[in-house]
Formats: sequence, structure tokens, C-alpha cells
Amino acid sequence: MTISRREFVRTGVGLIGLSCKTERPIGGRFVDGSFELGHRLRDRSPFPAPESTVRIPLVIVGGGMAGLSAAWWLDGAGFRDFVVLELEPRAGGNARWGENDITPYPWAAHYVPVPGKRATLVRRLFTELGVLHSDGSWDERFLCADPSERLFVHGEWQDGLEPVVGLTQRDRDEFRRFAAKMSEWRATGRFTIPMALGAESSALDRLSMDDWLAHQGFSSPALRWYVGYACRDDYGATLHDTSAWAGIHYFASRDDEERGPLTWPEGNGWIVRRLLEKLGRYVRTNAFVHRIERSGTRWRVYTPRVAYVADAVVFAAPTFLAPYLIAGAPDPGFVYSPWVTANLTLERWPAERGIPPAWDNVIYNSPALGYVVATHQSLRTAIDRTVWTFYWALADGSPTANREALLQRDWRFWKEAILTDIERAHPDIRRCVSRVDILRLGHAMVRPTVGFLAARERLRRMTSPERLFFANSDLSGLSLFEEAQYRGVTAAERALAVVTRP
Amino acid sequence: MLIAACGLVYELVASALASYLLGDSVTQFSTVIGTYLCAMGVGSWLSRHLGRGLVARFVAVELLVALVGGWSAAVLFLAFAYTGAFRLVLYVLVGVIGVLVGLEIPLLMRILRDRYTFKDVVANVLTFDYLGALGASILFPILLVPHLGLVRSALLFGLINAGVALWSTLLFRRHLGAPRLLVGACATVLCVLAVGIAGANRITNLVEENLYADDVILATSSKYQRIVLTAWKNDLRLFLNSHLQFSSRDEYRYHEALVHPGLAATPWARRVLILGGGDGLAAREVLRYPTVESVTLVDLDPVMTRLFATHPLLSTLNGGSLASPRLHIVNADAFVWLDGDPDFFDFIIVDFPDPSSYNLGKLYTTAFYRLAAKHLSRNGLLVVQSTSPLFARRSYWCIERTIAEAGLRTYPYHVYVPSFGEWGFVLAGTRAYAPPTELPGDLRFLTPVTVAQLFDFPADMRPVAVQPNHLNNQVLVRYYEQEWNEINR
Repeated sequence: MTISRREFVRTGVGLIGLSCKTERPIGGRFVDGSFELGHRLRDRSPFPAPESTVRIPLVIVGGGMAGLSAAWWLDGAGFRDFVVLELEPRAGGNARWGENDITPYPWAAHYVPVPGKRATLVRRLFTELGVLHSDGSWDERFLCADPSERLFVHGEWQDGLEPVVGLTQRDRDEFRRFAAKMSEWRATGRFTIPMALGAESSALDRLSMDDWLAHQGFSSPALRWYVGYACRDDYGATLHDTSAWAGIHYFASRDDEERGPLTWPEGNGWIVRRLLEKLGRYVRTNAFVHRIERSGTRWRVYTPRVAYVADAVVFAAPTFLAPYLIAGAPDPGFVYSPWVTANLTLERWPAERGIPPAWDNVIYNSPALGYVVATHQSLRTAIDRTVWTFYWALADGSPTANREALLQRDWRFWKEAILTDIERAHPDIRRCVSRVDILRLGHAMVRPTVGFLAARERLRRMTSPERLFFANSDLSGLSLFEEAQYRGVTAAERALAVVTRP
Repeated sequence: MLIAACGLVYELVASALASYLLGDSVTQFSTVIGTYLCAMGVGSWLSRHLGRGLVARFVAVELLVALVGGWSAAVLFLAFAYTGAFRLVLYVLVGVIGVLVGLEIPLLMRILRDRYTFKDVVANVLTFDYLGALGASILFPILLVPHLGLVRSALLFGLINAGVALWSTLLFRRHLGAPRLLVGACATVLCVLAVGIAGANRITNLVEENLYADDVILATSSKYQRIVLTAWKNDLRLFLNSHLQFSSRDEYRYHEALVHPGLAATPWARRVLILGGGDGLAAREVLRYPTVESVTLVDLDPVMTRLFATHPLLSTLNGGSLASPRLHIVNADAFVWLDGDPDFFDFIIVDFPDPSSYNLGKLYTTAFYRLAAKHLSRNGLLVVQSTSPLFARRSYWCIERTIAEAGLRTYPYHVYVPSFGEWGFVLAGTRAYAPPTELPGDLRFLTPVTVAQLFDFPADMRPVAVQPNHLNNQVLVRYYEQEWNEINR
């Protein structure tokens, strides 16, 4: 007999006289960034001559977290003669966010792990923003509210993302052994954030995480899923496409001091918002940089309307764009993962049983990464409508083919794919959702592929253009807030040393 | 085939109901199926004692199955709600249906024996029997239960049984002694079952009402909760989502204890804040102090505050407190409201539902108490309803520890409320506190001597080692769930 007590209670809805609601029509659209402009760059289309020229000591190209962090550091150092040029109508980059009548919500980056004592820059920023108090405590409202994570596995939600339901003794042994290995690596101190303080090319860089697991005798499907999930989540890549260095970095780079992570309804958009309160005056949006060229000892940075003449340039846009913009700039040869993210507007919550909804909700063996609840940090006790941010790194297959698929397939295709995936855990999801807005990100994050560290070192030895400083987090191979901030600040420091102070 | 399907459905109905109402589906399904099969055996054995007039007997058996089986779900629901002997009724019913169904097949085979060869009879009857069972077992979870519910499903199959009886009667009317009588009986049974289907909702409502011991005098649903008010003689009880909020016979103990130990010790209090407490009963106690100039009552649910302001019985109970010109009602989510409100209060009463979910647990965190403390005027006091220090000892001391963690000095106390049991509160503030020596004159429970005694904890309620409750680590919700599960088991 297959009817259980639970199913009985669920179906018992019919018994107390509530009728089944019919499926509601689901709206939504693509909310893409300006990738058409990017494609004009790729196709080397001509651009009109600028209407005016502005002389300014320093230009920051890119208003994502790296560019804004550079601006934050310069402003803090008392230097004000610069602009931040942002292609999109709003700054934010991977920390972009949206808002509807229910809540603000993230479009991509949505948390920052609680920084350790050595992450001084991150701590300085969070102290300024009131997230870290002077007594060393973190503001409770910004720490991820309980319950933080759950996993849908074997038809049930379980607490936490590490599978515990249905494990064999062997699985458990491997999880224990893996954790012990990661502690060993952590103790070496070589897996740092920012990575530049500890990373060096090594045997781990020449091996995929997949091979490393095999060499170490890890074959538990549950463990492999768990480690694979981490790689897809942080790098948008499969175990096969992630270097062992990066795979281990995920687990060995942080000590858990406080139950985190830090998160906000709009994700890292909250940080952008707060930074813009202070730095908004430096930012020029809809400023599409299409060429950067030498002009004597200076740089000319072209946007469609204005050309900026600067002593130095901080290039905080993704590094793969450099060869299209700057004559003679080296092609870093980085691989980027395409992503789809979606924000689902829910008019009501799906039926739940067992572990209540968490902040991060993941489905075991799904090709996607699960969903994050935007209202999770709300202080309200009664939350009837909500927004879920659904994440899907297109990790399987070639990135180029996946980018092609991103462009070819229509909204309806992705909406169906997303709802079908969620239906595994929430069969009634279509009766709850009123909108599915979808963002397609062709180059969402850099992949720390096998040999990434070696390539990075070669790149560093190549002479980069004078007075032009690269700042994107892709240089770290890790698409993390901390890396973006570190790169942005480091580039700003070096740029400030060479500009002519008026 | 229909008969077989019906037979299986009753078995499924009984098993499902038993596992729904009693839990432990493995046991319920196993015992019900066992009883049922055994009774079928008994029925088959009994069939040898039936001699003449086989068709009439078959029709009679069918009608009995239709009646007993059809009404089985309804009877079981009612038995659960109204009697203590649910299991007895369950197994008797299953036994009776089993015996009757056990009679069906042998009778049918004997009736058909004269028309076909023995091997064909056996083959045909048993084939259809098993196929029917498959049909029913698929229909039951997929179509019947989700769309009709158990009560209606059983009645529907009763109708089918009765239909078979009627059809057999008509088919064999030439072999029957009194076909009219049988047709009449069939029609009666069909009617009885049809009435049942029409009234199925009434039956389930009847069951729900009876889960509350007393007369339901008001039941309404707001956006946030199910509000049920019951009355028995002079006892008025309020249930929110089936949780007892107060009984009018002893709520004065609770509300006097909630308000006066703190407020009477704060004689300069002019401005009072009540968070939760939409029933106006805490407000009634606060308004006893003529020196209190304004009371702000923040309750999420406008249906609650409107009900307690306007319903004659309820506004009598709270002494019309919600209509007082000194009182100002805000319908808002307390945490968010407090976060956005700039005012200070001399006395804050925190009277929320128990921390039974992560959402409610937010209202018992260090973050919440820090915020509340910011709204306390100098020397102001805060009192928190803190669940039972006896039944949920770790939960109680966790709330106390959390308030202390938020930087306040705590003064825990407890009171006995018959309808709740031992109940706990925590007073907190930045100053040293001593119980009041003077109280408002017309209290029914507290005296200056009693107040002082409330702060003494007997050995079985003394503090235990617990963690404080934080937004990012809600230990309280887990303590609470564990402790009340142990009690309710």
C-alpha cells in the first residue's frame, strides 16, 4: 500500500472542502543586460566619434564590485578626481539586484561568508556599513537567519546541504575522511582569501578535482555530488572542469567563526546600494566603453558620447574584454561559465512538510543549484508572498555551446525548464508562481580550470600596458566578492601612485 | 469486479483513516488488512450455512455491505471525535465488512454454478475479483481520496454495492420470492447513501467541531490564523490555530501575573506598549492604573482586535479596554513596527504566541530584545510571556538567557494557571527590581505577598544550562519542539 499518513493529510485538503485551485497564468520575461553592445565589440562594429572630451586623472572601467571597491578605496584615501564608467543603466555587475512590491531580490551574487580576522579589507568595509560592530560582533540581522540550508533528497527535505539521508556506512566514512583532508589543507595556510596571498601553481593546479577525488579513493556518489555542487555553485563548473586547487580552495579557505553567511534580501546588491550612497557621484551609467587607446603618456577612454583623457586606467570590467578594447592587450584565455538566474514571484508558498523553508534550498541531483528565498531575512512573522531566486550554472557541456543555447532558446523554454526542476520538490509550484523573470549571463564567472594558476603566472610575466591596471576578480580565478574587492583596491592603490594629483 | 473493487476500497478507507487518526501507518495498515482478510475467511466459512434462496441472500449481503461499508468512514470519523473507543469500532467495522465481503464470492460462485461449468465459474469470478482489486487500489489514492475525500469515497462505493444489489434483483427477479420487497430495500439503501454523500461536508464539520470539547460560538479565519471561540456554561475559551489562548475562568491569573509585578513596580509609568495581546485582556489590567496616559497595542491581526473590540461577550471580558480613549491599536508585525518606531515606553509587555516555528522564534531572539530595550525609557521595564518553565523548562530558561544576552537584567517568575498549568514570565530592565508592595485594589488573584512568592522557583523548574536564541541560530525553536513533543506524546 502506498498511501502514507502524510499524503493522506495532504489529500485530506479535499476532505475539509477546499477545492483545488487551477493553475494561474505565469508571466515574466528576459531581463538581460546589454549583451548586444558586447556583441558589437566582439564583431568590431564601428562606433560614432565622441561629442566631447573630458580630462580626468583616473578612469575606472566597470561599475561592478571591483570597480566600486576601487572607488571606495580612492574616496577613502581622499582622492576624488576619477569617474567610474558603467555600461549598464545601473551599477552592480554580478551584485546587481531588482525589486518588486514584495521585496528586493538578487540577480546573482547574494552572500558574503563571514570574513575571518585576516580579511582586513572586507572587515573595514563592513565596519563602515554597520555590519560589523566595534565590539567585534556581527549585526544579527545580516547573518543568515535560521534555518539557513536544506536539501531535498530521496523525496524529503533534510537539514543542511551535506547529504545525511540514505547514506551507507561507506559514504559516511568518506565524508569524514574528506573533512579531515580539508582540515589538513586548511592548516597549511596556503588556501587564502584573497587567493593572491597564498596561491602558487602546484601539482594540485595540474589535476582536475575529479581526478583528485579518484586518486584519493573518494567514490561515494553522495560525496561526489556534494563536492560537485560546491564547484558548480562557486565556479559554474563540473568536477572535471575545476582544478583540484580550486576544488580544495572552496573547502579549505575559510574557518567558520560565526554562523553565517552575511546576506541581505537583495543579496550583495545591498553592499552596492550602500556604496552608491557614498560613491554615486563618481559613477556614470550607460557609459559603454568601446575603445581604450594610448595618447602620448595618457590613455583615451572612449564612450559613445564622451572621450576621457586619463593618466591611468583601472580596468575592472571582465578581463576577457581587454583585447577587444585595448590594442595590444594580452588575451588572458580564461574560460567563463554561462549562467541562468531567475526570480520567481510567489503569490503563496507551496505546501510544505518536514523541514521548513530555508534561505538556500537545494535539490539533490538536479542540474540546477536550487533557490534562495529573498524574504528570508525579513523580520516579519507572517510572510504570505515571496520571491525566490533560482540559480542555474550551465556547467555541463562546452561554455560556447551553452552560450549559443542561451541566446537561441526563448523565455518559455527556460521558464518550463526552471519550473520542471522545482517541481521535483514542489509539485504545486505552478499554482504558486505568478512571474518568472529570467536573466541570461553568458560570462557569469571565470572558471578555475586545470592549469589556471600556471596560466595566471605566465600572464603576470607578460608586460601589461603601462598605467593600466587590471582589477577584475577573474584574475583570481574565483568569482568572489572578497576577490573583487581585493583586486579593485590593489589596482586603485597602484593607479593612485602614478596619477598626477591636481 | 465491482464487488471486489468495493471490498478493497473499504479496507483501504479503514486503513487510511486509522493511520491518519492514530498515526503509525505501518501498524494500522497491517492490522486492518489482517483483520479484514481473517474476517473474509470467516465469511467464506459461514457461507456454507446459507442454503436456499441464494440470490435473495446475495442481494441482502450486498445491501448490508453497501450500508456498513458506505458509512464506515463517516462512522469512524465520528467515533474518533465522540467516543474513546475508536479502535474497537474500527476493528468491529472491519470485521463485519470482512465477513460480508467473504460471503459475497462463495455465494456468487454458487449462483453462477448452475449456468456455467465449474472451471469457468472459478476462472471468471476470481479473474474479475482480482482485476477489480487492482482497479480500486489504483483509483483510491489517485482519484478518490484527492477529489472526494474518504467519507465520500466510502459512500460512493456503498452506492455501487447497492447498485449491484439492485441490478442482481432485477436480473434474477424471476427466481426471487419477493422481488418488490428487495427492490424497495435497494432503493432505501441507495437513498440513505445518497443523503450521506450530499451531507458529507456536514459530517466532517461535525467532527471538527467536536474536537473542541465545548460549543463553538464563533469560528472565523483571518489572513493569519483560525480564530475559534468556545463556550461551556460560564467558561469562554479562545483558540488560535487550535492552540488555547485563554479560558475566561482563569485568564485573570495569567493577565494579572503578566502585568502587575512589573507595572505596579513602575509607578511613574505613563506610556505602555503591548506587543501581541489583541484580546485586550492585558490592556484591561494596564488600564487599571489611572496614571497610565497612553497604551499602544500592536497586534498583527485586525480581525482579532476588531472581534475583541466589538463582540459583546469578549468586550465584556476585557472590560471594553480596546475601546478606551487611552488605548491606540496598531495592526502590524511587531518586530518590523518596533524597528520603525522612534518612541520610548516606560513599560513594555511582550505577549506573543509560543515560539513554535522559526517565524515566531524571531520574536524571541537577542536581536528582538535588543531592539525592545532601545525603546525602554530610563528605568523602564519589559515583561515577556515565556512559555512553561515546567513543561518546557529549557525553552523557558532559553528565553531568560536570551534576554540577559541582550544586555538586560532579568527577573524570572512563574504562576499557576489551571487551564495552562505552570506558566512563566521574565521581567527585564536595566535597573534593580523589587516586587511591588502595593497593587491596584480590585485584583482577583495577586496580593503583595503572592507577588513576591512568584519569583521563587521550586527544584523542578530551576534554571538549566541552555544557549541563547539568535536569529541565525534559533535554538529555542528546537528546544520548544522537543519539549512539547515529549509532553504531547
